Amino acid sequence: MVDILTLITPRFLSIKNRMFSNSDTGRGGMLVTLALIGIGFWCGIFAVTYRLLDYLQSIEQLGDILAYKLLSMVLLTFFSLLIFSSILTSLSKMYLSRDLYLVNSMPVSSYKIFAARWIESTMDSSWMVIVYAIPVFVAYGVIYNAGPFFYCIIALTILFFSIIASGISSILVVLAVIVIPASRIRSIFIFFGLTLFVVLFLAFRLLKPERMVDPEVFVTTMVYLKAMKTPASPLLPSTWAFDCIKAALSGSFPGSLFHLSLLMTCSGTIIFLCLIIADALYFKGLSKSDTAQMRFIRQDYSDWTFMKKFSGPVRAFTIKEIKTFFRDQAQWTQIFLIGALVIIYIYNFSVLPLEKSPIKTVYLENILAFLNMGLAAFVLTAVTARFAYPAVSTERNAFWLVNASPIHKKKFLWIKFFIYFIPLLVLTEVLIVVTNLLLHVTTFMMVLSSVTILFVVPAVIAMGIGLGAAYPDFKAENPVQTVTSFGGFLFMVLCACYIGAVIALEAGPVYSIFMAGIRNRDLTLYEWLWAGGSFFMVFLLSTAATILPMRYGEKKLTEMLI
Amino acid sequence: MIELENLTRKYGDFKAVDDLNLTVEKGEIFGFVGPNGAGKTTTIKMLGGLIAPTHGAVKICGISMADQPEQAKNRIGFIPDRPYLYEKLTGMEFLKFIADLYGVAEDRFLKKAEDMLKMFSLSDWGNELVESYSHGMKQRLIMASALLHDPEVIIVDEPLVGLDPLGIKMVKELFKKLAAEGASVFMSTHTLTVAEDVCNRIGIINHGKIIATGTTEDLKIKAGVNEAAFEEVFLLLTR
Repeated sequence: MVDILTLITPRFLSIKNRMFSNSDTGRGGMLVTLALIGIGFWCGIFAVTYRLLDYLQSIEQLGDILAYKLLSMVLLTFFSLLIFSSILTSLSKMYLSRDLYLVNSMPVSSYKIFAARWIESTMDSSWMVIVYAIPVFVAYGVIYNAGPFFYCIIALTILFFSIIASGISSILVVLAVIVIPASRIRSIFIFFGLTLFVVLFLAFRLLKPERMVDPEVFVTTMVYLKAMKTPASPLLPSTWAFDCIKAALSGSFPGSLFHLSLLMTCSGTIIFLCLIIADALYFKGLSKSDTAQMRFIRQDYSDWTFMKKFSGPVRAFTIKEIKTFFRDQAQWTQIFLIGALVIIYIYNFSVLPLEKSPIKTVYLENILAFLNMGLAAFVLTAVTARFAYPAVSTERNAFWLVNASPIHKKKFLWIKFFIYFIPLLVLTEVLIVVTNLLLHVTTFMMVLSSVTILFVVPAVIAMGIGLGAAYPDFKAENPVQTVTSFGGFLFMVLCACYIGAVIALEAGPVYSIFMAGIRNRDLTLYEWLWAGGSFFMVFLLSTAATILPMRYGEKKLTEMLI
Repeated sequence: MIELENLTRKYGDFKAVDDLNLTVEKGEIFGFVGPNGAGKTTTIKMLGGLIAPTHGAVKICGISMADQPEQAKNRIGFIPDRPYLYEKLTGMEFLKFIADLYGVAEDRFLKKAEDMLKMFSLSDWGNELVESYSHGMKQRLIMASALLHDPEVIIVDEPLVGLDPLGIKMVKELFKKLAAEGASVFMSTHTLTVAEDVCNRIGIINHGKIIATGTTEDLKIKAGVNEAAFEEVFLLLTR
């Protein structure tokens, strides 16, 4: 145990040294800002859950059933998130960390190294899920007037729940690294990505969430109630956690302790299994991972003739970025998931039961199309956060090449911008145009949303590239994770504000123009001015959102030299 | 070719490089030696335009690094001590990347790149991903890329780290050849024998200040030990 604690010590010392370092003067303020924002989110989650549960309590007989069904769904979702997060973190911590050579050269058993890494991985992968789960559970406690016993049970449930998720993930990782040839270790990401997708899909389907809001599909109310009461699989740890919390909420101490003991014994067993498996397989997997990547497609050098029209630096960075992107198999998982997201997004629009709505279909279709601009912009933000925001950080230690080369930072950033602008513009326009076609919107709405997105895409990407350059992390093990930093958070907040502002600016004039079209009347002078002013403001806002973050990123990146 | 004027770099209150004045002439190989933490790498980074000086100026072929960094960098072949590269490119693709950045003409690239790969014994590895290269191979690839655009100034930090004996011999001869052809080489190193073998002039830096410059003979005289080995001279001067 002493060895394991010693192996973990550098991590805690690094955190301590970073926190008390004098070199970064802005850190204190940044931490306070982050804490305040975190508390804000925390309060928001609590308020929404409380409000929802309060509303459910007002529904006689059905309220408790729905509240417990919601709790079951929340726990299953948390469990899936914990599993996925743990898989990625443990793979990175146990097999891809740069300090593994050093650690493995020490006279320590491999299972102890595994255990130390597993503890780190469990903490890293669970803390965020736990922090944001707490307000949900507190809201349940407040609504059901639970006593201190409930909160103790919650703390222990979360602890064992996280250990089980992390343990299962680690076992999967250790086994996968042995099964899949180590030369393709990063291909494991694809395997895990697809597994995640299947797991989430199955979890979602098992819950049949659509039935909750559509009692009409059931023959009688009794059948509906029965379906709501049907528990999830008794083999799932989330079901034990659910039973444990439910019993604690209803004051059944023995029931709660029984299910807690299930979680506890399961987590103990999993830790034991992890150590046995690690002792047998961890080192084998690790040594297998120490080989070169396998290339699926091997080509001799060839120049991209179509790029010859561009200037040298543009050609250099574009080719480098594209080749690097497609050769990193970790990126493929993300592309698969985005592809799935796009298909689900479009499919959802195709099955909207608009004809059942009491609102006239033509209004509803166009309102949805308008709101769809916002939705598509948020999808764009998520994709930008994943791909464009880390674009500067992905230069990693090779960023010295950019600094040493005869290229201005401004040009470097704009090249990065255009590399992501074209594919993301195509993606977002496809989302908008296809969904608009499915909604049979008016020509005005089609033109409006396509043109608006044409302004929104560069602004969102510029915020991603600019803030990614302003807050880079060239030393990150995984540059993609830089989006979870302060800069990434700032990017998300600014994008949300910008998209909200665009929608708010366009909402009024669009409604006037649309209604004028429906009523077959001309626009008044006031309406013309209002529409012109609003669209001009959107143009100005988008231009500012495109230029200013890029300048900010350039300034901060240049200041790094000073 | 290389001019350093009152070059100073501070980190907080600590002066890593303190008021450095130095000129390296055309065709000269200048060795820059000093103990760990003396300010060698900081100086090299300022020369290459990777960091800016707190005070003072760097001029490359008469071009100010502060005022015209792109033009100045275009004249430099920069070789860092640690070979961080784009791991997902092949050796040949990496050379093309550098060629495009430095404006090497299309028609010259292929021949030049093949020559470079051959010179650095990487011909068989040109179409392999950089991530499969050993440390020494990466170091050789960086050298090949730094010389691709025929730089007038070569700035190199610890050139022999990770190279095998054959590579060391080749690099030493290469630097001499490049200097004979008119290039200026500014070379930071811990390997005193290499500095002694290759460099026309050596500068010793300690605590951020140049404490002595000259040929090995000049330095021996300065240290007051005419017959001693250069290692002893170094130890005496940096004591």
